[in-house]
Amino acid sequence: MLTDIQTPPRERASQYFVGERASAFRSNVNLTRELAVSSFKLKYTGSVLGYAWSLVKPLLIFGMTYIVFAVFLLKGRTSKGENFPVELLLGIVVWTFFADATVSSVSAIAGNGHMIRKAYFPRWIPVVASTLSATMTLAVNMALMFAVGVPLGWFHIGWATLLLPLLFVELYVLVVGIGLLLSALFVFYRDLGHVWEISLQLLFYGSAIVFPFTLIPQRFRMLVAFNPMAQIVEDMRRAMVTNVIPWSGQILGRWTFVPILAVAVVFALGFWVFRRRAPRFGESI
Amino acid sequence: MSVAAITVTGVIKRFRIPLDRSSTLKYRVTHPLSSSRYRDLLAVNDITFDAPRGQFLGITGPNGCGKSTLLKLLSRIYVPDSGTISVAGRVSPFLELGVGFNPELSARENIFLGGAVLGLTRKQLAVRVPRILEFAELEEFADQKLKNFSSGMGVRLAFAVAIQADADVLLMDEVLAVGDARFQEKCFDVFAEYKRQNRTIVLVSHDLGSLNLYCDRVLLLQNGRMIADGPADDVTSQYRRIVGAMSDDDTAAPSSSTESALGSERWGSREVEITEVRLIDQTGHSHTVFPAGGYMRVEIDYVVNSPVQDFVFGLGFKRADGVNLAGPNTKTGGHRMEPVMPGARGTISYTIPAVDLLAASYKLTAVVYNSFLNHAFDHIEDVLTFRVLDDKGRVGMVDLRGEWAETRQPGE
Repeated sequence: MLTDIQTPPRERASQYFVGERASAFRSNVNLTRELAVSSFKLKYTGSVLGYAWSLVKPLLIFGMTYIVFAVFLLKGRTSKGENFPVELLLGIVVWTFFADATVSSVSAIAGNGHMIRKAYFPRWIPVVASTLSATMTLAVNMALMFAVGVPLGWFHIGWATLLLPLLFVELYVLVVGIGLLLSALFVFYRDLGHVWEISLQLLFYGSAIVFPFTLIPQRFRMLVAFNPMAQIVEDMRRAMVTNVIPWSGQILGRWTFVPILAVAVVFALGFWVFRRRAPRFGESI
Repeated sequence: MSVAAITVTGVIKRFRIPLDRSSTLKYRVTHPLSSSRYRDLLAVNDITFDAPRGQFLGITGPNGCGKSTLLKLLSRIYVPDSGTISVAGRVSPFLELGVGFNPELSARENIFLGGAVLGLTRKQLAVRVPRILEFAELEEFADQKLKNFSSGMGVRLAFAVAIQADADVLLMDEVLAVGDARFQEKCFDVFAEYKRQNRTIVLVSHDLGSLNLYCDRVLLLQNGRMIADGPADDVTSQYRRIVGAMSDDDTAAPSSSTESALGSERWGSREVEITEVRLIDQTGHSHTVFPAGGYMRVEIDYVVNSPVQDFVFGLGFKRADGVNLAGPNTKTGGHRMEPVMPGARGTISYTIPAVDLLAASYKLTAVVYNSFLNHAFDHIEDVLTFRVLDDKGRVGMVDLRGEWAETRQPGE
């Protein structure tokens, strides 16, 4: 009869709480990474080509723009010694990152409403995570471009190439600044999604992605070079691809600081707006 | 002296409900000078309280009373318009189950994602994954996508992740509303463990039964104001008085469906017929989960179909595995049933001031027999299942109500 009286051993909850407590900083970094990795994964799950899309997409855009611009429109109009197809490819890869990162961060807050409304964590996390997931695609694309391009002699590697990391930092700061600004405002003004799409088109042509910078008439060059994206892409080309085109500094002269200042202003503005709006996200989404 | 884990002082939260559409750029551009018009809603109006460490605090009130808003203020999802909130230690960052889960990802991936929202690192979670899957009973489904799970599986996974929260103050919004009695027992086990660890729990619910069962103390909110603060029993009964005709479905009695159970194993000649069997808790509500040592009343509704001289009502209490625990009846209990006319209806009740059973599932059989107990008018085997919860982790089947004492000779 003993068996009748014995109750099965109850699951004791104590075994479910173990381990050290992580610091807030490590928790935040961890959450950022988990969100970035999972959105990177989700972007490509369910599609036949999977991750390959992150490569195919810029290549297709490159193919199209190459035929339209390099083959038809700009034939014979690029500077001597210039390697325009590689400049175009680099421009497209960098631009794809810029567009992906900013577009996905527009909805980083509003699109994660379920989390923002139901859980507390620093609000910048989803924004930074969405820029990071675009960064992963950029890293894959750049790595592939190097792997193919270096043996083929596409690149002109020299001392100037050392500037490249700084240019990527500038690009990332710009992207995060825009991301913070747009994601915070998008919660309150939903038209911003459309506005940003159109602005991107405008910026695309205003950043000399699909044509060499030198094609711009002299008197407009400075104006275009004030645009940080034009400056970043142009300087990356100069640092990586060819030394026959000018640095943005050579075009801007004493105004060299303007695009860098613009990046700083965009970041500061984004940071300020985001910080002011963030406490209200929970009740506004 | 206890240390306050939560201190809330004069907190006000106002929501501005826009009266016009100002959330588009078009409106902003076409009405550049109009200051938007709002209707103010005082969701939380001047609330002050503090809770000591280790307290299990319930917050209740009718819909729209501000209880969820108050919880969101405690969690920092909302910021108060005035007043201060201070919480000692870390607050659990989420209120509901499954925050951060993505249906397109596998159970394993969701553990890492949901765990990250809780503030746990990948390394910490990697160690816990097997335990989480085991607790959720989903070991074989670790790599299946969440979207292919049943809702019960999803809730189990979410709960198993949620209890990993490494926080001193846990905030929960209606987590008990989901899940069956078994899930609730798991919740209770976890809560009991939290209490042992001296963590503070704030539970928002309008399930008064659960509040009575779990909470040391309950705050009652109405229209943003706190109108009562005290022991769970007092406040929940006050709530019932104030709200008056609170409908029964608000106090979600889990699966007390006598109708379906009445169709189980049943026999008898039906001169007297049992029409319904209910279990009532101390708040007067039908329930199927009771705390060990708590009040329970069994009520049997009956109708008389043909004249009978003498009849006896009886109950059978069995453990889920069939062990007979008790079989009280009106005859041995000294309650004589008077002869009745056909068509008569009545209710007979059996009151247990303190259910001295320990945590387990129990089955109830209800019968009505002739006075010699050899002819069944109506016999319904296992008409109801109920559950007893015990927060003391005692082993066995019954509380013998013994007391420990000690005498000792001093040693060398």
